[in-house]
Amino acid sequence: MNRNRPYTSWQSRCFDIANIALMLLLMSSMIIPFLNTFALAFSSNLASMTPGIVLWPKEFSVEGFTTVWNRMQLYLPFMNNVIVTVVGTAAHVLLSSMAGYVLVQQGIPGKKLMISFIMITMMVPGEAIMIPLYVVNRDLGLLNTLSSLIIAGLVSGFSVLLMRNFFQSIPGEMAESARMDGAGDFRIFATMYLPLASAGLATVTLFEFVSRWNQFTPALLYISDQTKYTLQIALKSLIVDTDSTSSNFIITTNVRMAGIVIALIPLIAIYPYVQKYFVKGIMLGANKE
Amino acid sequence: MKAIVKYRAVYLMMLPIIAYFLIFAYYPLVRGFVISFQQFRLIGDRPFVGLDNYAQVLKDSAFWDTFANTLIIGGSILAIGFIMPIALALLLNEVFASWFKKIVQMVVYLPHLFSWVVVGGMWIMMLSPDTGIVNQLLLALGAEKPIGFMSQEAYARPVMVFTAVWKEVGFTCILYLAAIVSINPSLYEAARIDGANRWHLVRYVTLPQLVSTMKVVLMLHVMSVLKMFDQIFVMRNGAIAGKVDVIMMYTYQKGILEFQIGMATAAGFLVILATLIITFVIRILIRYDEE
Amino acid sequence: MRKKRKAIYAILAATLLGSMIAGCAGGKSEGTQGTEGTADNGGGEKTEARTLKIMAGVIGGKTPEENGLFEKEIERLTGITVKLEKPASDYDKKLLAAVSSGEKFDLLQISKEKMNTFIEQGILTPLTDKVKGSETLSDPNVIPSEEWAQVETKDGEIYGVFTKYQGGTMPIVRNDWLKKLGLPEPKTLDDYYTVLKAFVEQDPDGNGKKDTYGLSTAGMYELQGFFSAAGLKQRYVEKDGKLDVPYSTDAAIPIYEWLAKLYKEGILDPNFATNDTGKMRDLFLTDRVGMITYWDAWVGMLNNTRKEQDPNTEFEAKGLPGAVGPDGNHMLRRGDPDVWVIPVNAENPETAFEFIEWWHSKDGIILGSLGIKDHDYTEQNGKYELTQTGKEHAMDHGVPFWYNKNVEPPFGKLPGVQEAQDLLAKYASLELTPPRWADAEKIINEYSFKAIMGQMPAADAVKKCGKS
Repeated sequence: MNRNRPYTSWQSRCFDIANIALMLLLMSSMIIPFLNTFALAFSSNLASMTPGIVLWPKEFSVEGFTTVWNRMQLYLPFMNNVIVTVVGTAAHVLLSSMAGYVLVQQGIPGKKLMISFIMITMMVPGEAIMIPLYVVNRDLGLLNTLSSLIIAGLVSGFSVLLMRNFFQSIPGEMAESARMDGAGDFRIFATMYLPLASAGLATVTLFEFVSRWNQFTPALLYISDQTKYTLQIALKSLIVDTDSTSSNFIITTNVRMAGIVIALIPLIAIYPYVQKYFVKGIMLGANKE
Repeated sequence: MKAIVKYRAVYLMMLPIIAYFLIFAYYPLVRGFVISFQQFRLIGDRPFVGLDNYAQVLKDSAFWDTFANTLIIGGSILAIGFIMPIALALLLNEVFASWFKKIVQMVVYLPHLFSWVVVGGMWIMMLSPDTGIVNQLLLALGAEKPIGFMSQEAYARPVMVFTAVWKEVGFTCILYLAAIVSINPSLYEAARIDGANRWHLVRYVTLPQLVSTMKVVLMLHVMSVLKMFDQIFVMRNGAIAGKVDVIMMYTYQKGILEFQIGMATAAGFLVILATLIITFVIRILIRYDEE
Repeated sequence: MRKKRKAIYAILAATLLGSMIAGCAGGKSEGTQGTEGTADNGGGEKTEARTLKIMAGVIGGKTPEENGLFEKEIERLTGITVKLEKPASDYDKKLLAAVSSGEKFDLLQISKEKMNTFIEQGILTPLTDKVKGSETLSDPNVIPSEEWAQVETKDGEIYGVFTKYQGGTMPIVRNDWLKKLGLPEPKTLDDYYTVLKAFVEQDPDGNGKKDTYGLSTAGMYELQGFFSAAGLKQRYVEKDGKLDVPYSTDAAIPIYEWLAKLYKEGILDPNFATNDTGKMRDLFLTDRVGMITYWDAWVGMLNNTRKEQDPNTEFEAKGLPGAVGPDGNHMLRRGDPDVWVIPVNAENPETAFEFIEWWHSKDGIILGSLGIKDHDYTEQNGKYELTQTGKEHAMDHGVPFWYNKNVEPPFGKLPGVQEAQDLLAKYASLELTPPRWADAEKIINEYSFKAIMGQMPAADAVKKCGKS
């Protein structure tokens, strides 16, 4: 590290104390919202509707969870989300690493062109073409299908370049000599390259898992059939607008918060891994070519 | 030619990726570009109308309102979201106890993981003047009346900026921390021998070493200013819409809610154009490609 | 480095240029596709499939699962295979998205206001002749003849057929709280103030905390019951052939000031501007607020919901006639009717119309109200019995009330509904909603919020609002 002896002057001491106080303040601004959410989620229906500073459940109860999961059937969008996330992430990782593999092969004609081809897609903000994308999905008959959500972001330039950066540390001669021995490219890719880039795979998988789980705009645009709703859309209507005039449920605060907690759990479960790989990944991906 | 035959398996592997980008990136781009010159109707023919759609968008005061909102909100997020993480990373680096440092890192990073539906929803609830914890705290601290953060125009933009910074500050901070860790310790030693104090080390050793990370972060953020959507879509409401609706909201409203596919697409292309120009200018300004 | 970047920009520019050329060809082919589509519809009428694709906001099952049962029930009763899309929220947005995508629906359930917009867009099939020729629909016992005036366009065309009998909105009060605090039913605006203030200050829910509001609303959604004190009608009125918005006239100032006072004193729910109707209802159902403004049918639903949770509850919601006006009259609003419409690109318009007719028959009404047989209710020898699910669903699957006089409600009405309906029958009138209302509404909302939240004096707000 950059320092091996603490500073002893009184100014430095004061600064350290102030600094730690500041950090504590900052941390509480991050923790309190989540604490508040969890506390409310585990409060009873009526208690969650009363004012007060809630950092611990008021009248502990899981009513909120049973209401949102069973009666409002949040398990449907939850399962849809699981399907889209798992299938989408698997496909994304496979395709991105395949492309990454291709782009580190030496001596293939047109490689530069392919790289440019992929990089251009990164310069156009996807949101800006949401209407044409919507039209395309409509024309392909993909509206109201989970496939449309899996396809949205099936490959991304970012992941391709990331995988390429990871593959670059593998000597190109390996592939070349395997090819001499008559191995097919897919086999070389699957049995030699993939295992050597496990850190890269983990990074892309985690990135994709998080962004898939949180995927919002495509679901908002392409899905209107309630049985195909994904979690974020269901949550949006649960938390932000409950204007559905035909619902007979009383949606109390704990029900809303329980919905949020359910959406948080898978992400919190993978959090330790995310911490390990995210920074590395984004720096590699943002690497200037 | 021989090489192509030799590597046909490689090309085959690339095929699905190329196909995907062609159908879901290039084609929509081209298609959208065409539509932006058409009077796009659901049924019947779609005559070309030249630059009409663009002219209509540029004449629409609602477009300029959302444009201004985008610049004000996006610009503030860009500025504050740029400075805060650097300050935080530098301060955090001054903490000696490494366990404390780790805990802080772990905590501030958390909000980055969650979607805007979750984060926005949480803040809407917390800012509610009825039972929201923020107002409850203010009342406990002696405020007379709860504040309608989400319904009063004066608070609308600051709330958007604050929540956006809140969500991303930890993540960006950790990028800087990673860069700080990789600074060569001998630089600090040399500076100390020259008699540098604590502040000098930060100012003349750490900070200059972070410049390249700053550039990366700035580029990432600049490219996302104009495409802001999720956050606003989740957190807006009728009472504050005029102050917070951004350009992508305009596109969404025109295209999806008002049948004006032509206008919406034209607005989308103006955004693409603006993004390209801004990115290009910033790249030159910060000499992104040099070093 | 530099070269690479240049190359990328060059390629991007080339793509954009190329697209312009490709575009000309593309545009034409799309055009022909469109015409083919319409031709298909014309020729396909004779051999129509007995399937329907429907989109509805309030009609259908309460959960996605029940919605599936609802589709099957329709098929069992009519032999028509139905795909019913019922978005959980944001119905208008989803509807517009689906329609503007060109997705083909056979039937849509929309409000009259949306219907007018859709007519302007030319995407609805006129049903005038079909309605006049329909034995069921032209029967005044099924739909009273005078009601049709509500949905007729200026040139006498009918594009939509009622989905239900539409009630009206009114202030709904916690009658048990009134009784508990020994307060009489409010009549004048001042009475309302006294009652609402008492709801805040006298701890009507008896929990020892000052945690109740007097009034909650969902934005400016419905305040007719208070603006009536100045004799002002919501939305538009026609005066000397000119459209006028009474809420933006000087006469409205005292009402805005009254509301601002409620807001300032913490009597009005501070979330009123951002509430949706769901949040407002939930506050009412959880003892947080003593009065809301909502539909007559909901008086019964609210009572029912609490009763289902606790059969011994004291909770009693009651409809009120609103504040009395200067001329001694009450003034409530009858809501715009919801209608079935058939889009021009419907694939099976004949079947769709058949469905509309069936919707007004006994089977249709029972499905729309009680719900699904052996799920919401059981029937033996003409005797109906509600299941637990059925009770929770409060006999509303899109049709709480209907026109058809030949169909008697098997269980009568939910508590409080009859009184509420009587009030509406006495005092409510329809409102005028031209297609441009949505734009005007935005402006009115903006200034109303400012006036009520004390950011602008009411007089200024009204002045500015009137100008816009």
